Amino acid sequence: MLRRVPMAALLIPGLAVLLFAFGYPVAATLAWPPDGDPATVARETGSLLTDPYLLPVIARTVRVSVLTTAICLLLGFPVAYLISRAPARWSGRLLVLAIFPLLLNTVVRTYGWIVVLGGNGLISEVSEALGLGRVQLLYTETAIVLGLVQLFLPLMILSCYSSLSQQDRRLEEAARGLGSSPGRAFRTVVLPLATPGALVGCTLVFAGAVTAFTTPQLLGGTRERLLSTLLYSRVNVSLDWPSASAIALVMTALVLAVSALSGRLGKIGSTSS
Amino acid sequence: MIAMIRTRPLLSLLAAAAFTLMLGPVVILTGVAFTAGETLAFPPEGLSLRWFSAALDYPPFIDAFGTSLLVAAVSTVLALALGVPATLALNRGRVPGRKAVEGLFFAPVIVPELVLSLALFQQVMVGMRVTALGALVVGHTVLLLPYTVRVVGASLALADPRLEEAARGLGSGPVRTFFTVTLPVMAPGIVSATILAFITSLNNVPLSLLLTGPGVATLPVEMLNYVQSSFDPVVAAVSVLLLALSVAVAFATERVAGFTKVFGR
Repeated sequence: MLRRVPMAALLIPGLAVLLFAFGYPVAATLAWPPDGDPATVARETGSLLTDPYLLPVIARTVRVSVLTTAICLLLGFPVAYLISRAPARWSGRLLVLAIFPLLLNTVVRTYGWIVVLGGNGLISEVSEALGLGRVQLLYTETAIVLGLVQLFLPLMILSCYSSLSQQDRRLEEAARGLGSSPGRAFRTVVLPLATPGALVGCTLVFAGAVTAFTTPQLLGGTRERLLSTLLYSRVNVSLDWPSASAIALVMTALVLAVSALSGRLGKIGSTSS
Repeated sequence: MIAMIRTRPLLSLLAAAAFTLMLGPVVILTGVAFTAGETLAFPPEGLSLRWFSAALDYPPFIDAFGTSLLVAAVSTVLALALGVPATLALNRGRVPGRKAVEGLFFAPVIVPELVLSLALFQQVMVGMRVTALGALVVGHTVLLLPYTVRVVGASLALADPRLEEAARGLGSGPVRTFFTVTLPVMAPGIVSATILAFITSLNNVPLSLLLTGPGVATLPVEMLNYVQSSFDPVVAAVSVLLLALSVAVAFATERVAGFTKVFGR
């Protein structure tokens, strides 16, 4: 009887809102912005991809995102591993500590870096006390990467943890019992089995880093622009709609490409293992 | 735990670095908020609560907090009102092309929020003359829809659909079956989705960024604009107030639904 009720009708309100408030506006903005048409956007995208000023912005966005992803994996995986293997009392606490930053907005999380990295900041003071002179790390790529790593570590930890917590711990113990060193058991048993989770984490972090706004705006300023901060200035300062659409198009394409690629990598991984 | 650190010294070191990076800046910002001085400095120059009273005396922050709460509440309710029926249909109904339809509901996650912000600003605010508040509610509803569909769907997927068939077979009508079987099964998912959606909306920056009008902006956007033009520690004080609020939310969530269950997905 439940089946005879046309339940598919329950989808209609949601789909209507998605069409009106998501599909239509995004498609219109990407292809047909005010003061422009698909041809202008195509021309702008072309010049974006060849312009000697703009090309470095794309390159910087990719570089910063790749670095952020790699560092998140390097630091986040060990946290996930320790949480999955620690005694219950500790693992619960550490997991809460790793998730808690997600409850804070990005301004709260990023603002502290200004105190740490600024010309009069903590690192600069320490460096001066050591006789190395003052250092200004704020408004550099390093600052952006540090801020993004802080921001996305919880996502990486959660993704890796979901793979690691499902592993049968006896596999690792068996490898140790058969004479593997802790390092070898980790490399040959734990790591390969955790790859799917790590891959999901890398995709989430990369996509997040490409599209993040607050962190590059506060820590990169106008000097070290990424695609997101460039897009914002095109909208807010120069009111250049077609150019904003072109940047939006490149940003969206970058995220879609990485999601598609990691989906394929995931499939290859699952068939080969 | 000590034994683990001993067998895995390198991993423990990397994990310690991770926690330092994640929490260090927030700890330092907390210290800064209690400074008696005029500028952002750590260690703080003397202790005082002056920046807290300055924060509470600054009307734009109070107004923005009100806007944020309103947008979060309305869009959470709307996202549930649209998402719960949709996930019910996807999990229990016969939907042609189910995978593809599901993909449509998750599509807002793939498009960069700043791009959606630009799109809503251009097409809905400028193009259709909708107010900033209206555009914020619409945008946040779209942003939260994937969360409600996924989280409520997860609790439906866990329950055996034969429960509903059994109730029907025993003579219960469709409405009664919904309220006595399906709704209780979905309830934990709805609670989780509500908390998660509300906090996600409250913290959002990129989507809200361009959806501002005279006197209308969400709190995170107002904070962002403030720190770009002033260097006093007011925003540090606001941050500490939000930190305290988040700790309270975390404890409340732990009691109601389980903290890691809600935020650890």
